Amino acid sequence: MKKARINPQITTYVDRLLQGKTLLPESPENLIEVVGVLASYGIVLDAYSKNLIFIADQQFLVLFPIFKYFNGEINPSKILRYFWHDRINYEYAEYCMRTMLWHGGGGLDTYLDSDVFLTRCRAAIAAKVRGNLLMRSLNRLFPDFLPEQVRQLAYYSALGQFWRIMSDMFNDLADKYDQGKIQSIGQVVEHIKAGLVADAATPITYAVNIDGQRYELIPDSAGLTFLPDTAIPYVETIFFRGTPFFGTVSYNAQAQQISPDQSRFDYGALYADPIPIGGAGIPPTMLMQDMRHYVPDYLHQLYQQTPRGEADIRVQLCQSFQKSMFCVTNAALNGLLPFPKETDNPEEQTANRKFLSEWVERLMDSRLDVVQIV
Amino acid sequence: MLSALLWIPLLGALIIALWPSPLSSTRVRVGALVTLAITLGWTLYLVGQFDVHNPEFQFSEYWPWLQSLGLSYRLGLDGLSLPLVCVNSGLGLVAVYSSADTVHRPRLYYSLLLIISSAVAGAFLAQNLLLFFLFYELELIPLYLLIAIWGGAQRGYAATKFLIYTALSGVLILSAFLGLVWLSGAASFDYSSTLAQGLPLAQQVLLLGALLVGFGIKVPLFPFHTWLPDAHVEASTPVSVLLAGVLLKLGTYGLVRFCLGLFPTAWLALAPWLAGWAVVSVLYGSLAAIAQTDMKKMVAYSSVGHMGYILLACAAASPLSVIGTVFQMVSHGLISALMFLLVGVVYKKTGTRDLTILRGLLSPERGLPLIGSLMVLGAMASAGIPGMVGFISEFFVFRGSFVVFAPQTLLCMIGSGLTAVYFLLLVNRAFFGRLTITAEPPEPPIDPMLPEVSWRDRVPALALVALIIAFGLQPGWLTRWIEASSFQFVEPPQITAVAPPALLTDPPTPPRR
Amino acid sequence: MIQSLIYGSWLLPLYGFFGALLTLPWSIGLIRRTGPRPAVYINLLMTTVACVHGSLVFWGLWNTGSQELTWQWVQVADLNLSISLDLSILNLGTLELIAGLSLLAQFFALGYMDKDWALARFFALMGFFEGAMSGVVLSSSLFSAYFLLELLTLSTYLLVGFWYAQPLVVTAARDAFLTKRVGDVLLLMGVVALSGLAGSLNFNDLYEWVKTADLSTTNATLLGLALIAGPAGKCAQFPLHLWLDEAMEGPNPASILRNSVVVTCGAYVLIKLQPVIVLSPIALDVLIAIGVITAVGASLVAIAQIDLKRALSYSTSAYLGLVFIAVGTEWPGVALMLLFTHAVAKALLFMSVGAIISTTNNQNLTEMGGLGSRMPATVLAFTTASLGMTGLLPLGCFWAFRLGMDFLWQEQPLLAVVFLVVNGLTAMNLMRVFRLVFLGEPQPKTRRAPEVNWLMALPMVTLTIFVLLVPLVMARMSLLPPWQYLNIPIVVVLVLSGLVGFVAGAAISLNKVWSRSRRRTLRLLQDVLANAFYTGWLYQVTVVFVVDQFSRFSSWFDRYVVDGAVNLVGVASLVSGEGLKYSASGQSQAYILTIVIGVGLLGLLFTWTLW
Repeated sequence: MKKARINPQITTYVDRLLQGKTLLPESPENLIEVVGVLASYGIVLDAYSKNLIFIADQQFLVLFPIFKYFNGEINPSKILRYFWHDRINYEYAEYCMRTMLWHGGGGLDTYLDSDVFLTRCRAAIAAKVRGNLLMRSLNRLFPDFLPEQVRQLAYYSALGQFWRIMSDMFNDLADKYDQGKIQSIGQVVEHIKAGLVADAATPITYAVNIDGQRYELIPDSAGLTFLPDTAIPYVETIFFRGTPFFGTVSYNAQAQQISPDQSRFDYGALYADPIPIGGAGIPPTMLMQDMRHYVPDYLHQLYQQTPRGEADIRVQLCQSFQKSMFCVTNAALNGLLPFPKETDNPEEQTANRKFLSEWVERLMDSRLDVVQIV
Repeated sequence: MLSALLWIPLLGALIIALWPSPLSSTRVRVGALVTLAITLGWTLYLVGQFDVHNPEFQFSEYWPWLQSLGLSYRLGLDGLSLPLVCVNSGLGLVAVYSSADTVHRPRLYYSLLLIISSAVAGAFLAQNLLLFFLFYELELIPLYLLIAIWGGAQRGYAATKFLIYTALSGVLILSAFLGLVWLSGAASFDYSSTLAQGLPLAQQVLLLGALLVGFGIKVPLFPFHTWLPDAHVEASTPVSVLLAGVLLKLGTYGLVRFCLGLFPTAWLALAPWLAGWAVVSVLYGSLAAIAQTDMKKMVAYSSVGHMGYILLACAAASPLSVIGTVFQMVSHGLISALMFLLVGVVYKKTGTRDLTILRGLLSPERGLPLIGSLMVLGAMASAGIPGMVGFISEFFVFRGSFVVFAPQTLLCMIGSGLTAVYFLLLVNRAFFGRLTITAEPPEPPIDPMLPEVSWRDRVPALALVALIIAFGLQPGWLTRWIEASSFQFVEPPQITAVAPPALLTDPPTPPRR
Repeated sequence: MIQSLIYGSWLLPLYGFFGALLTLPWSIGLIRRTGPRPAVYINLLMTTVACVHGSLVFWGLWNTGSQELTWQWVQVADLNLSISLDLSILNLGTLELIAGLSLLAQFFALGYMDKDWALARFFALMGFFEGAMSGVVLSSSLFSAYFLLELLTLSTYLLVGFWYAQPLVVTAARDAFLTKRVGDVLLLMGVVALSGLAGSLNFNDLYEWVKTADLSTTNATLLGLALIAGPAGKCAQFPLHLWLDEAMEGPNPASILRNSVVVTCGAYVLIKLQPVIVLSPIALDVLIAIGVITAVGASLVAIAQIDLKRALSYSTSAYLGLVFIAVGTEWPGVALMLLFTHAVAKALLFMSVGAIISTTNNQNLTEMGGLGSRMPATVLAFTTASLGMTGLLPLGCFWAFRLGMDFLWQEQPLLAVVFLVVNGLTAMNLMRVFRLVFLGEPQPKTRRAPEVNWLMALPMVTLTIFVLLVPLVMARMSLLPPWQYLNIPIVVVLVLSGLVGFVAGAAISLNKVWSRSRRRTLRLLQDVLANAFYTGWLYQVTVVFVVDQFSRFSSWFDRYVVDGAVNLVGVASLVSGEGLKYSASGQSQAYILTIVIGVGLLGLLFTWTLW
């Protein structure tokens, strides 16, 4: 058998990771960009997370959720503000949720296909449609319709819970930076890794109240936890796979631009081209738009020194965001390493190396080479 | 009254050139802007005073200059020259406004621009053949210098070529004028539509032929057009704006005023051939434009095509088609000025005009989105999409010419379709897709970054767009000035109203000499 | 009150344009800190106002009868162009159809495009689209109809080019524009000719002129063909049909309108021009021929498509082919009924398509399956629309087919057979798509398929109900025949053709990978149909090739022959030798040359009297 040639670049990156260095090169600008963008991301995620959980809990199978982005607080001035589109773009959170749901993966996905879930789901649906003739008959005619909606709501909740933890983690990071406790990219990665490990076993659950009765759709007993059932599928679907953007990829079946195999998708955050941001058919524009309102001063100052100043802030945010996501990926890889990276056992070293090589190989087509430019 | 249009810019030029103390470039620019703003204001005042029902020359001025030569300083304004004078004042202002702050040798540069404005106004107003010729020649030298000093890499070649062509054009025009006055035995060179009436047709045709080639070079018409793409490519943006928007109009103005106006009989005899010439020019210019990869060259060739419509309309010489010529002159002036301005911005920001390299300039954050949108609009206006001035002028031209030369008109209309082809090639290549401004992907792969577009780059383009749309939606705002005078150029026994089109009768046979 | 609303009818097309104009602050990026949604709401409001105003005028006219509003636009020399609106029940009904579908499509877009940041531009274009279409149906002069058809071409280009950074859009938008433009330029030739011949471009004046027109056969035919070309381009008829395929690169909400009412506008103008085209029997025959070729060809091509949107867009061409046949045989009533019933059903079909794409992130039919049980609104919409499109149950198109066949059966039975063939093939295709999408086992991309959100579902359900009610609406308007006049054999044949189609569609084997057949002839047929008879290639080797070669030739000729000859003459005659060396370094020489020429000319001038 011919020995597969390993791209020397992969080896370089793997060595770097094993030596405790970071995927993103250390530099003062990179630090400001990563921390600054994560600080604003933390604030935005907080809003996303709250809204996703609100929708999952309070808008359970509501047919016309007109005020689903209001988080239950409806008053004229807020309506007016929303009308002027002076608000967080919660649509982006839903977009991420739908992408996760569509790609699947992880324990949550498996659980939602189980009979246990279906039984619990049917009970909740029965309670919900009790007084509604239309819904009841629809449910009878299309028995899979409402369970599929509930699966989606479960993802609303799960992503909301995942982002809750991530938001707190990023806000902590920003605080620490302000206190001068974070001074290198390595420390950023370490902070995130520590956060991921600390919350790894936090349970993911979901329950709704219907007519005062509590229905547990994802009970504790399902055993779903933060790291394996939300974080890893999230990284896989949002960082790596994503969905093709209307604005850059043709959906035309005859043109065959989109792979029939979802696992070969590379439209995720680590691969996306930041230049089209702000244009038509590029969903992450919404995230950048949301973040621009919460950019800390030190990052503003950095951006103002660029040729276009802050006129292209959304592209710059996207570039910084991509850098920060490489840090998160880095932290996740460090956290998931099968053995401690300082190990002296050759077998463990090989296992570590194999694990990292596989991931780094997937990163070879990503924007990893672009973020290397300091 | 009218003299002011000549003397204000000339005075401005003199003051700028002779100001005793050193002047910063910005100051000179402001000075030129103020001068041209006053000129434009004065032009608009004249527009307000203009009597639209009077077909004759208005605000006439007369001063016997060199009576022994038959040269008199006689100026007058009618419906044919009024719109062109306005275009000249307006685009002069645009050209100065869009000149860079840090132009090299600013005093010479701006005085030359002002002299051009003055000379062109003089040519449009002159009522004496020699006076017209003087102004026609006067405009040539500053333009030559503007290309030769502030042009691109090949400026020497292009400027010399421009100079020789235009000088030749001047010689032909002058000899035709001399010949006309000689042969007719007129006492002076004063313009009168009856000058050539007594001449035998053969002599008329000969004189007209010389004039046609002379003005044909300036318009330019195939095969005398090759100086134009070269001149445009080398000229800086403001000069291109003036060249396309104003100076080419001297040629078409000459066609109407001096060819059609002085030799109606000979014109009628040659008309079918002229219509055929128009077809060749239109199709040739449009097809050549398709093959270009330099944006500016493409726009330049589009001028060859679009100016051919004017020859067609002129040849037809029906009441509507003569109005169409003036309308097309204004419309082409506005649209081509817009296109050159936009191409200029693209060149300034990206450093290239190469259509094989540029991609995705519409990119909203890093590209030139507003410039791109205006470019789409300009392309559509040029392609004759309704709602903009290009459509209605083409409609006048085609509708006015169809009743006289049906087959030629239909062939010219193909040019209208081809315009869409090349301008869409331009827009879709350079503005759609992913932003790219270099031939090879850069190594290391840095994301493209273009300098920001300032409002100063956008304002003149936006002003032109406003006019293009306004006249497109309300053509009456323009036709009212032209209508009365245009009938002067239509022979009394000419076909009016609904005549049987040529398509339906025998094909027009050219007269034999 | 109603009368003043009728006088205000000139606003009806303008609402859409106003809406588009008001979005400018967002679409050109003046407002950047907040989002573009106000622009969306403004356009929705404008369209709603247009709908309400239109329906009030409709009811007003129901009582007062048709009215005409005319404004002088341009009056110059012998040319007199006026903008006039023909306010008839029929035109207002069509306007309501356009405004209504536009409103539903915009509402749908609110959901479908919710992750797109360029909403303002999109809705501006939709408003522009709607304004132009409303104007086309109301205009009572060929000039304003042409004017607005061109604006439709422009907005089609801009809508297809909406996702301008997508590689296929770059060429699709350009080709869509140019294909339509071919038709438009030919139509403009017709318009210019008619304007010269008839003196006026008002439809009523043209109809008067036709009675006395004295044209040779050749001229009448040329005129007729020119007038057909424009609508043929707009209605995606052979050979100008390929743009509709490429236009599917654009956003789906625009496809909803494009496949329903935009093509209708082209046909509407054709119907209005039909009394003029009658001048040439040949032109009428060409109309029928184009219609037959497109109807049958496009129906076949549709069956071989694996792209969801394209499988349905080809049937649009096919149905408009039937409309062409109806106009060519001088049965405008059939054409109108077909247009109306097709438009609502096709709009609904494309809404369900949008829902499918939005849920599955996919347009490839071979990667779908099993959506039926989980997406009730979508599956019901698709089913209803399919039945409304075909002659099986007495829904919309059934009645249009019946009417057409009733008229054609006696005189031209072959054309009636074309109706049956299109009905059968369409039924078969819809059944095929239905099976691929909704039945079978879910595939990876359709494994998780929750029904779309309410913003998409609501317009879809609304339109589903409307499609079901179409026969009642038609009965209310006395468009349905009394029972005793129903030609039973025709109805039976029609239903049978639909039935055969559905059964065939249910019976054919659907290999998921759509593998090409082993048998050579069949494989060839598959390829030919999948590639729409290779029309793209046909364009390449004909028109594109010719233009390309000519342009290369002109450019070459310019560089070497014209320039060379002139330079040679110039060099030889003007200055012999060094003076004319064209080089950048020859600057000083050139300066001198200038001065020499200038002085020489002046000297010539002032010494003239002496020679």
